[in-house]
Amino acid sequence: MSEPIIRTRGLSKRFGDFTAVDALDLAVEPGTIFAFLGGNGSGKSTTIRMLIGILEPTAGEIRVDGIDVVHTPRRVRDHIGYMGQKVSLYQGLSLRENVEFYAGLFGLAGAALERRWGALRERFDLAAAEGRRPEDLPAAIRQRAGLALSMLHEPRVLFLDEPTAGVDVRSRSLFWDVIQEEAAGGTTVFVTTHFVEEADSCDWVAFIDAGKLIADAPPEALRERFSDGYRVTVRGGDPRAAAAALTAAGLAVESAPDAVRGTAPGLPPGALAELERLRARQPDAHVEVQQPAMTDVFRRVLTDAPRPA
Amino acid sequence: MAGVGPAEPLIRLRGLTKRWGRRTALAGIDLEVAARAIVGVVGPDGAGKTTLLRALAGLLEVEATEARVLGYDLRDDVTALKARVGYVPQVWSLHRNLSVEENLRFTARLHRLPEAEFRRRSDALLERTALAPFRDRYAGALSGGMKQKLAVANALLPAPELLVLDEPTAGIDVVARGELWSLLAAARASALIVISTSYLDEAAGCDTLVYLDEGRLVASGTPDALRARVGLECYRAWGGAARDIACAARRLGYVSGARAAGRYARVDVPAARSPGDREVLHDLGALPDVRFAERIPVDMEAALLALSAGHGGRAA
Repeated sequence: MSEPIIRTRGLSKRFGDFTAVDALDLAVEPGTIFAFLGGNGSGKSTTIRMLIGILEPTAGEIRVDGIDVVHTPRRVRDHIGYMGQKVSLYQGLSLRENVEFYAGLFGLAGAALERRWGALRERFDLAAAEGRRPEDLPAAIRQRAGLALSMLHEPRVLFLDEPTAGVDVRSRSLFWDVIQEEAAGGTTVFVTTHFVEEADSCDWVAFIDAGKLIADAPPEALRERFSDGYRVTVRGGDPRAAAAALTAAGLAVESAPDAVRGTAPGLPPGALAELERLRARQPDAHVEVQQPAMTDVFRRVLTDAPRPA
Repeated sequence: MAGVGPAEPLIRLRGLTKRWGRRTALAGIDLEVAARAIVGVVGPDGAGKTTLLRALAGLLEVEATEARVLGYDLRDDVTALKARVGYVPQVWSLHRNLSVEENLRFTARLHRLPEAEFRRRSDALLERTALAPFRDRYAGALSGGMKQKLAVANALLPAPELLVLDEPTAGIDVVARGELWSLLAAARASALIVISTSYLDEAAGCDTLVYLDEGRLVASGTPDALRARVGLECYRAWGGAARDIACAARRLGYVSGARAAGRYARVDVPAARSPGDREVLHDLGALPDVRFAERIPVDMEAALLALSAGHGGRAA
């Protein structure tokens, strides 16, 4: 395992009597997508604002890309990109002028800017919007422009605070494609969302409730711990061959009148290859894998966690 | 003439239009809802969802060829309609400095509910929302999920025939969302429920969906019917590195989109371009690191994606 690119220890924020974030220990591996989940008021945005150095913690340590954010908050800014819940584009300036303004802040200009912005403009389908002012653009396009701007200077770490809130499914899907591409290129992405099914697009999931971490694991590990597990159903073909294959795949097998079913908390190594072999041998067999939904996983995470009244 | 006759649909809209100055928020909506159900209103931000909900609740002056809700004409005096409608706006609008019970009592007074009836109904609602232990707590001090449950309980208290909810579950946790939905499932027996949501699982749980975009009704029908209409095939390719598999799948000429989701890559193939599922499964199975490929039914995300692509939604 490599050194975490984001690390907090005992990170806390109190507003008067109210503890918004309570002794958070986070570790994010470089080049991964880290999902930070929780409901409204759970402490997500407070945490992200501390991580990017715009809110001083009450206690605790933060390191982002080698920088001590608590003591030198300004130094972190060149390393990170940030998109807040409210996209901050200047009204009265065209989108292009906004791009030049932000690029200027990071010393990006000339051919380098054209290359980078050109690629983002195409990826986010913003060519038609370039000459228009943000206030004249639909919310979904503004949101796309906001995400494009946050990655303009090719930051090492990207902080996205609910980038998919209030956007249509199409933009949501595009955002996740881009986020995965950026991570594949080595960028670390720290993203908050209240769409829990989006956890599956990420490498790691931390779930915060009332300021405390109640889950911190890869999505598959949470699924294994907090669900009834995977179900594989085989219909048609020879039921005995199906049962043998599911057993060989490491599943607990039960026979129903119309199908053979197997269950397992996680998909054991080799199980998928076993299913593929079964289908190759039994072309009439219909094999279906049911994965527990993330919403159900988090329902159980929340009901199992000790909750303050 | 007031009230809905036995044969009349609960909602009947023809050419419902709402303009704010030069901006057209609703551009001629036709919609008919015959019986009690949970009707989900979905679509991108700015599609007109909130405007449609407010119109149905009798809160807006509208233009239309026909606009009847519970038998009342939205273009006439809607005072009597409003008494039969429960409306939960997007912005939480209860009284923070009143307790849970006082909020309910306030609503009961507005609707002139007798004390005994108030007791009976509010006890039942507090029980069902699990808010009973918090009846003396200030509403302002409730958690996000509890606030929303109180808002819905409050709207249900006068036993409305139509319950209109504007994104009641936005941003609240999955447990509270589940509780709210059981509340709605119970209320469906006595009321028509119209709800807007951006959660795909909730959209899938509605009896009927209405998809709006740019003030127009793009499609409506049961979730199954909408899924069936979509000319798309969905596949999953399971393997070691799902993100690499998604990348490789995108290079297949007929694939319109692919994304890693946990241990598999989700692959979409437009039906018009598909060489048939056997071939697709074969191609996916031949990608590096793929151990198992399967076709899956079209899900809500794919259905709504296709709807948004067919209309206003811009190509990715």
